[in-house]
Amino acid sequence: MALPNQNTVDYPSFKLVIVGDGGTGKTTFVKRHLTGEFEKKYEPTIGVEVHPLDFTTNCGKIRFYCWDTAGQEKFGGLRDGYYIHGQCAIIMFDVTSRLTYKNVPTWHRDLCRVCENIPIVLCGNKVDVKNRQVKAKQVTFHRKKNLQYYEISAKSNYNFEKPFLYLARKLAGDPNIHFVEAVALKPPEVTFDLAMQQQHEAELAAAAAQPLPDDDDDLIE
Amino acid sequence: MDDLEQAILLASDSPAAASASPAVREEALAFCARARDESPPSSLLRLCLSGLASSPHAHVHFWCLQSLHDALLRRRIALPDDLALLRSSLLSLASASNAASPPFLRNKLAQLVALLVRLDYPHVYPSYFLDLLPPSPPQSGPTDMFARVLISLDDDLLSQDYPRNADETADACRVKDAMRAQCVPQIARHWHDAAATLGAADPPTAAVALDAARRCISWIDVALVANDVFVPLLFDIALSPASAAPLAAAAVGCLSAVAAKRMDARAKVALLRSLLSAQQGLGSPDSGLKMASLVTTYAVEALACYRKLGPSDADGAAALEMLEEVLPAVFSAAESCYEEDVDSGSVLEFLAGYVSTMKAPSEKQLGHLGRILEVVRQQMTYDPVYRVHLDVLDKIGKEEEDMMAEQRKDLVALFRNICRVAPAATQQFIKGLIVTALSSAEATVEDVEVTLTLLYRLGEAVSEEEIRTGSGLLGELVPMLLSARFSCHSHRLVALVYLETVTRYIKFMQENVQYVPHLLAAFLDERGIHHQNSHVSRRAGYLFMKAVKLLKAKLVPYLDTILQSLEDVLGQFTSMDWANKEAKLSSSEDGSQIFEAVGLLIGIEEVSPEKQVQCLTALLNPLCHQIESLVMGAKAQGLEESSPRATSLLQIVVALNMVTKGFNERLVMISRPTIGVMLKKTLDVVLQLLVSFPNVRPLRSKVISFLHRMIEILGISVLPCIPIALRQLLVHNEAKDMVDFLVLVNQIICKFNSSASGILEDVFPTIASRLSVILSQDAFSTGPAGNTEEMRELQELQRTLYTFLHGMVTHDLSAVLLAPTCRQYLETIMQLLLFTSCSHKDILLRKACVQIFVKLIKDWCTTSKADDKLPGFRVFMIEKFATGCCLYSVLDKSFDLRDANTLVVFGEIVMAQKVMYERFGEDFIVNFVAKALPEAHCPPELAEQYYQKLQGNDIKAFRSFYQSLIEKIRQQQNGSLVFR
Repeated sequence: MALPNQNTVDYPSFKLVIVGDGGTGKTTFVKRHLTGEFEKKYEPTIGVEVHPLDFTTNCGKIRFYCWDTAGQEKFGGLRDGYYIHGQCAIIMFDVTSRLTYKNVPTWHRDLCRVCENIPIVLCGNKVDVKNRQVKAKQVTFHRKKNLQYYEISAKSNYNFEKPFLYLARKLAGDPNIHFVEAVALKPPEVTFDLAMQQQHEAELAAAAAQPLPDDDDDLIE
Repeated sequence: MDDLEQAILLASDSPAAASASPAVREEALAFCARARDESPPSSLLRLCLSGLASSPHAHVHFWCLQSLHDALLRRRIALPDDLALLRSSLLSLASASNAASPPFLRNKLAQLVALLVRLDYPHVYPSYFLDLLPPSPPQSGPTDMFARVLISLDDDLLSQDYPRNADETADACRVKDAMRAQCVPQIARHWHDAAATLGAADPPTAAVALDAARRCISWIDVALVANDVFVPLLFDIALSPASAAPLAAAAVGCLSAVAAKRMDARAKVALLRSLLSAQQGLGSPDSGLKMASLVTTYAVEALACYRKLGPSDADGAAALEMLEEVLPAVFSAAESCYEEDVDSGSVLEFLAGYVSTMKAPSEKQLGHLGRILEVVRQQMTYDPVYRVHLDVLDKIGKEEEDMMAEQRKDLVALFRNICRVAPAATQQFIKGLIVTALSSAEATVEDVEVTLTLLYRLGEAVSEEEIRTGSGLLGELVPMLLSARFSCHSHRLVALVYLETVTRYIKFMQENVQYVPHLLAAFLDERGIHHQNSHVSRRAGYLFMKAVKLLKAKLVPYLDTILQSLEDVLGQFTSMDWANKEAKLSSSEDGSQIFEAVGLLIGIEEVSPEKQVQCLTALLNPLCHQIESLVMGAKAQGLEESSPRATSLLQIVVALNMVTKGFNERLVMISRPTIGVMLKKTLDVVLQLLVSFPNVRPLRSKVISFLHRMIEILGISVLPCIPIALRQLLVHNEAKDMVDFLVLVNQIICKFNSSASGILEDVFPTIASRLSVILSQDAFSTGPAGNTEEMRELQELQRTLYTFLHGMVTHDLSAVLLAPTCRQYLETIMQLLLFTSCSHKDILLRKACVQIFVKLIKDWCTTSKADDKLPGFRVFMIEKFATGCCLYSVLDKSFDLRDANTLVVFGEIVMAQKVMYERFGEDFIVNFVAKALPEAHCPPELAEQYYQKLQGNDIKAFRSFYQSLIEKIRQQQNGSLVFR
C-alpha cells in the first residue's frame, strides 16, 4: 500500500483515495498535516502524490496513505487505476462552486466501480469563504449513498480530523475510537468561526440600528 | 506485450513498483502512455486483447480494459471489423467471467460492454442481453456479470443521478425502448430466479442481481416485480434472519423502488395496499429496523397520495390509514438513525410533512406526536463523547457545537410545528423530561441539556401572554425551572442553556412576583453570575441585565440583596488583569453588563431618592477614586496604550458608561437633580483623562462614548465642559478620528441647537480647514478601487461631514457660517455644496445639499434684497445653483427618474425653485425662465407654462409638470447632448 521507497510501519495502515474536481482543495487539505507533509514523497512521474498521515487513537497509532490524485486529465495517466486496492476514500467538492458538487456523483460512481463497499467521506471544502454557492441544506448526495458528510475549511483547519476519525472508526469497526493526541497542523491561514461570524453579523445589524456610537465595541482593541 | 506488462506493473502500485526508482517509474508511465496513444487503433485493440488473454496480472487487465474503453469512447476503434472483434471478445470474456476475478476487473469489463451497448444496441448488434442473460437455473458467474453490465449501463447511461448531455439522453431512450420490446420480462424472471436460487447458495451474487433490478424498476413495467410471486420473495429475503445483510438490503432496495415508482395517485394507493397485504407486519417496529428505507419511502408515498386525494376521498383516507399503519416502523427507523443505513434526513422530512397535515389531532395522532417528540429529542441530543470538549469549548467542542446547531435547525422547525398542533401534549412531554432530569442524580449533561433546550424552544413557540399568565403547564414548568439545580450544572452547556431558558420565561415573573427571588437566585448564585466558568458568568451578566430591563420595578424590593451579591463581581471587573484574559471577548459577554444592570436598577423611579443617592455614591465614588489614583500614577510614568493601567482606566470608563445607561434626562435633571450633580462630577473626573492623555486612542473613544451619554442625560448642564473636551479631542486628531469627533459635534448640534453656537464657532474653523481636503477626494468611485477599507472610511467621513453641515443649518446654526472667524471658509463650502448638489454619485448626499441650500435661502434672504445677510449669496443661488442643480443636473440622463431616492431629490429640487421664486422673485424668473430654460432648448411655450405653474399654489402639480418638462427636453436632445 505504501508508495515505493517509503518506509512501511508496524501499525495498521490504509490506502485512502482522495478524489474530486480540480481546485477543490484536495492537496491543500492533505498538506495541512505536518508530519505527512514532512514525509510525503512527490511522484510527478505517476501523477499522484502519496502522503502518509499518522493519527494516534485510544487504540494506538493508525496511518493513512493518502493518494492525492490531483490534476488528472480525462484521458491519459492511470486515473481510476490509482483507486485499485483503495480501502477508504474522501470525495471533495468546493462549496463555492456548484459545478464541483454536481460532479460528486460521477466521482463516487467511478470510485465505487473500482473500490466496492469502502467507507467514504464527502467533504464540502472552503466553508470559510463568505460567498458560498452550495448551502449545507442543499448537500443531500451523502444521504442517498450512505456517506458521511463534513463541512471543512482546509485553510483554517476547520474540521480537519473529522473525516479521518470517521474513516478510522469504520475501518476498525469500532464507533468509539477517538483521537487522543492533537495532530500537528499548519497554523490556519484564515480564522473561521461560525458562532463568531453569526454574532458578528448580529452585531453589525444592531450597530446599524444605533443612532449614536456606544461603547459596545470590543473592550480590548 | 511483455514490455508493456512490465511497464504497467512499474507504473502502478503493484509489488513490482515498490522497489523501482522514480526514474524507472517515470519511464514506465511514459511507455504506457505511448502504447495507448500512439499505436494504431487496430494494434492497440489486439495488444489489449492479448494482454487480457495472457497476462496473469490484474493491473495489466485493468489497464487493457481502461485503454479499450478510452479508445471506444473516443471513437478511435471504429472499423466494423475491429468493433466486431472487440464485441465478440468481450462477450466471450463476460460469459466466461467467474466470480473469482477481482470485482474491479469485472466492473471494468461490464463498463466496457455497457459502452458497446450504448453505441450499437440494437441497430448494429441486437442480442447483447440475450447473449448475456444466464440460462436457468442461474449460475453465479454469469448472473454476477449480467447484473454488473446492467448496473454499469445504469450508472453510465440510464440513471438520472448524473449530469447527462442530449446525446446520452437520446441513447438512453433508445436502449430502454429496445430492451422493453425485446427482453425485459425475461430479465425480470431471471432476477426472480437468481434471488430464489442463489439467495442461500451465493448471497453476494443474488444481492448484485437484485441491485440491478432495483435500478431498472423505475423504467420497466412495475408489475414484472410488483406481483404476488416476486414481492413475497423479496419480503422473505428482507426479513429472514438467515439473509446476509447486503442481500437483505438489496431486497429492501427493490421493494423501496417499487413503492417509489412514479404513477397516478390511485394506482399508487392500490400498489401500496398490495405491499401491505403481502407483508402484514410492514408497520411493526421490527420492520422499521430491518427495512428502514422501505418504510420511510412507503410513508412518504402514502403521505403524497393523501395530500393529493384529500381526506374526503376514499382512496385518500385509505392512504392516511396505511400511512399510520406503518408509523410504528417509521419511528423505530428514526430512533435507530445512528445506524448508517437509515437516512435520517428523509425520515425527518416525512415526519415534518406528516405533522403539517394535522389540524386537530385525534387521540391516536396525539400518541404519534408523542413518539415524534421523542425522535426529535433523541436527535437533538449531544454525543457524550464530546462532553469534555464542549465544557472547555476547545476546537473539537466548537466544531461539535456548530454541527449540532446545524443539525437542530430542521428539528426545531418540526418541534415548533408540533407545539402548534398539540400544545398541551408538548408541554406534558417536556414536563415529563424535566421531572425525570430533576429526580435523577445521574441525569447526564446531554439529557439535561436537551431537556432545557426543548423547554427553551417551547418558550419560542408560545405567546408572550401565555408566558405571563403561565397558561397550560407553564405555571408549573417555570417554577420547576427556577428552582432547578442539576448535578451537572457546572457544565458549560447546561449552565448556559439553563440561563437562556430562564431568560426566555422572565415575563412569567411580571404576573407572578412571588417567584422573583427564585429568578434572582438563578442569576446571582453559582448557576449564573457566580458560575465557575467565566463564559457562563459573563453571559449571565448580560442576561441579568435583560431581566432587569423587563422586570424593573418588580426588583426594587430586592435592591440590597442584588447589590450585595454583586459586590465582588463589580469590584473584579475594573481590577482584573485584562492583559491575561482572552482578548477575544465579544461585546455581549464582556461582563460590563452587570454595571448596566445595576444602573438600570438604581435608576428606577420607584427607588427612593435617598436610596438612589446612597447606591450611586457607593458605586461611583470608588470608580472615580480609582481613576484619580491611576491618573496620578500615570502622570508620573506616562501611559502606554496597552499597559495594565490604561486597560484598567478603559474598563472603569466602560463601567461608568454602563451604569449611566439606567438614567434618563427627566430623572437626572428634573425629578432628582442631586443625581445630576453626582453624574456631572463624574464627568469632570472622566474628562481629566482627556486632558491628561489625549493621545491614548482606545481610551479616547471610550471617553467619547461616555460624553455622548452625558450630553444625552445631563442636557444643557454639560455645555460648560464641552469646549475643553472638544479642544482636547482635536489634539492629534487624524482623519480616522474625525468621524468620531464629528458624530459628537453633530450630537451637540442636535441636542442644543442655537445654544451651541458659541461652541461651534470655536471648533468650526478647525473642521472647515480639513473639510475641503477631505471632501475633494473622490471616495465614491465605482470599480474595485472603491471597495477598499480606506475608501469605505473616507466615504463614512464624507457622509458625516455633510451630516454635520446639514445638522448645522437645520438646527438654526447657519449664523455660525457668517461669524467673523468662520467666514473665510464660506466660499469653499459653498462651492463644495454646489458641486455635490449637482453631481455627487451618492444621491442622498445630493439631497442633503439641496436641503442645506433651501434652508440657507430661508435663513439669509427675505424678499427684500437689502436685508440679505450674505452679499452675493442671492446671485450665487440664482446663477449657479438654479441653473446647475435645478436644471442641468436633472437633465443629465444619469439622473434616473425611475429611482425612488432620485425622485426624492427631485422633489427637493422642485421645492428649492419654489423657495427661490418666493424670496428672489423676478431676479430668479429673469435668469431661469428667460435665460436658462431657452439655453437648454426648452420651447418657449413650455417655459411660459413653467412660469405659470411656479406661481400657482399646487406644489404637486408643479412638480409633475416640471418632471414632464425635463423629460420633454431630454427627448428633444435625444439624450445625446452633453450640456456642460
